[in-house]
Amino acid sequence: MIEHPPALRLAGLRKDFGRPAVDGLDLVVRRGEFYALLGPNGAGKTTTLRLVSGLLAPDAGSIEVLGTDLADAPAAAKARMAYLPDEPMLYGKLKPFEYLEFVAGLWGVHAQEAEPRARELLDWLDLSRHAHELTEGFSRGMKQKLALAGALIHEPELLILDEPLTGLDAVAARQVKDLLLAHVAKGGTVILTTHILEVAERLAQRIGIIRQGRLIAEGTLDELRARTQGGSLEDVFLQLTAAP
Amino acid sequence: MRMAPGSVAWLLRHELRLAWFNASGGKEGAGGRRPGNAAIGLALCGWAALHLLAWVAVSALAGVAGDDPRILLAISAVLAGGAAFMLSSAIKSSVLVLFERSDLDLLLSSPLPSHSIFTVRLAGVAASTAAVYLFFLAPFAHAGLLQGQWRWLGIYPGVISVAVLCSCLAMLLTLGLVRVLGARRTRVVAQVIGALAGALLVIASQLHALSSRDTQGRVREMLDGLLRQDGVGDLPLLLPARAMLGEPLPLLLLAALAAGVFVLTARRTHRFFAHGLQLAASAARAGTARATPLTLRFGRSLFHTVVVKEWRLIVRDPHLLSQVLLQLLFLLPLFFLIFQRADVQVQALGAGLALLCGSLTGALAWVALSAEDAPDLLLVSPASQRTVRRAKLAAAIMPVLALVAVPLLWLTVRMPAAGPIVGFAVCGAVLGAGLIVFWCGRPGLRSNFKGRGKGGFVMNMLELFNSLAWGALGWFVAGATRAPLSDAGALAVTGSSALAVVVLGAAWLLRVRRG
Repeated sequence: MIEHPPALRLAGLRKDFGRPAVDGLDLVVRRGEFYALLGPNGAGKTTTLRLVSGLLAPDAGSIEVLGTDLADAPAAAKARMAYLPDEPMLYGKLKPFEYLEFVAGLWGVHAQEAEPRARELLDWLDLSRHAHELTEGFSRGMKQKLALAGALIHEPELLILDEPLTGLDAVAARQVKDLLLAHVAKGGTVILTTHILEVAERLAQRIGIIRQGRLIAEGTLDELRARTQGGSLEDVFLQLTAAP
Repeated sequence: MRMAPGSVAWLLRHELRLAWFNASGGKEGAGGRRPGNAAIGLALCGWAALHLLAWVAVSALAGVAGDDPRILLAISAVLAGGAAFMLSSAIKSSVLVLFERSDLDLLLSSPLPSHSIFTVRLAGVAASTAAVYLFFLAPFAHAGLLQGQWRWLGIYPGVISVAVLCSCLAMLLTLGLVRVLGARRTRVVAQVIGALAGALLVIASQLHALSSRDTQGRVREMLDGLLRQDGVGDLPLLLPARAMLGEPLPLLLLAALAAGVFVLTARRTHRFFAHGLQLAASAARAGTARATPLTLRFGRSLFHTVVVKEWRLIVRDPHLLSQVLLQLLFLLPLFFLIFQRADVQVQALGAGLALLCGSLTGALAWVALSAEDAPDLLLVSPASQRTVRRAKLAAAIMPVLALVAVPLLWLTVRMPAAGPIVGFAVCGAVLGAGLIVFWCGRPGLRSNFKGRGKGGFVMNMLELFNSLAWGALGWFVAGATRAPLSDAGALAVTGSSALAVVVLGAAWLLRVRRG
């Protein structure tokens, strides 16, 4: 049987902004996995994701996306993944379809695939009725959903999301969660950071907890519970991240 | 002095502090900072020099009678021009107060009465409008005081009164536009009106040079006739001039008029001010919802996709577009003057088009290349950054070349030799300006278009010298199609060509290394 490389492999990843933000991080996320990366404020979650997405260059260590080294072949690695930051990367003066058209152009998606996919995503995220509006008038939730649609337009194998549910109402949050679960069900990989521990508890197959740029615990929820004798993920999280 | 928190005086101090921070060029309400010591020192040195100049001028004018109708007429003309400029800057300040300040939500949600907030905002607009003029004119008042010529002291109340009147008019105009056009369009229209007022004044100031000798003679005769009439000095129209010269009664009348208009504006329109703010806030949130059929064009090449996206963003931002095009408005008076001399029209066209197109390309290239709204999106994509940036450069250059194609075609039909040569100068200026931004442009915010010049001194200088080099080249080479170049002309062509090459070379050497 052919052994596929993992969706993401980080080895000795290091990034320093005067003080180490990511400090020798080793992490492996398997294909088809829903992985939640948790940590207190300033733990290095966002920096890690920005390193993986190619927005920052690491000071040391390696990043392998679906078997492709990000430093050696950045375009090939980026073509197979998508990154959604906590602040949606949108253009206020574009309409939703125009935005998706632009993103599809950046990823070189053919028209035959991109157009129906765009319609499907906007329908799913309940944005089709706003197709004639400029995104500058959208609410925070609508912007977040459109950015998610943009991230999914090229059907990435690895989807990386930084706080994707921040500011979303219950309905929008449910739509986003359903879309992410559907992505994983189709074989895609999702890595997300969140402060809403309930989301990680309910969606993630494995959870990694980082503190001061290092991975301090990892496993399924049950494995983490067993390690800490905690009850809920909140108890586990608080025990693991408590200052020594 | 300690001021009661929430009082009008306390609020006014906050307002003036914001205006002071804004003087540094920082975006008001968003990270504005105090002017640096160097800037303050430079301004003080300039002010001291102005005092010297004023001292000499006031001494020289000591014997001039203040009630001479010629003097009053001249002061009235200057005052009218100054008032037009004041109105222009007051409109811009009103737009800033109404649409661009980020602290109004906080103020209006506080228990402070909206009447106080509006009064203070209006006073702030008046103060910032008056400050610039007082900077230049107050030295004359000080020199007059020291020389015992008390009439010069009228400058202070005179300038403040005119600034208050212009600010009230500007605020009423802006709020009126909100009612008629809605908040979204008002922002653009008010800025265009403000800039037009300034540009028209420049043109008006050159009317004398623009008009024919016959017209100049007729105007002179008319003025002489007017000045010969009895009691012309007592015309009510000359009252502001008399006030500026420190005559007590006209000064009192002007000050009373300004105070009355200020109180009436503040009392009668503060509700509309609050309404205008709500409209502005809702306009910022609401997108256009025109149900036009969507034309989907998935599957274009990366280059084409980026070009189309840039054009959409520019065309759909009338505020930005107006700012880009208004830059050119201030160059137009220059061409009026140049075109007066028929013997240099081709040269003027060559130089003018090169300057205009260079300037326009620089502005558009900054918008497309430096003011990218979602730079991270481009970086996380697998798209070639080189292709993306080249497409952005093309998006900036193509509209300018399309725009200039018509006058160039007209020129080529009329003067087959001059057309291609002017076209060459224009293309050089356009390409040079675009490449300077391409190589040296640093990221900026689209909303900070006006302040883009403050971000990169070197790039601005390179852009300036690029335009000058190609403008000069356009002038001399176009002239060569009518008469052979003199030795000096040939030297100028060589010099400007060398300058254009040196500028581009310097831009390439100073280019920002990316990713």
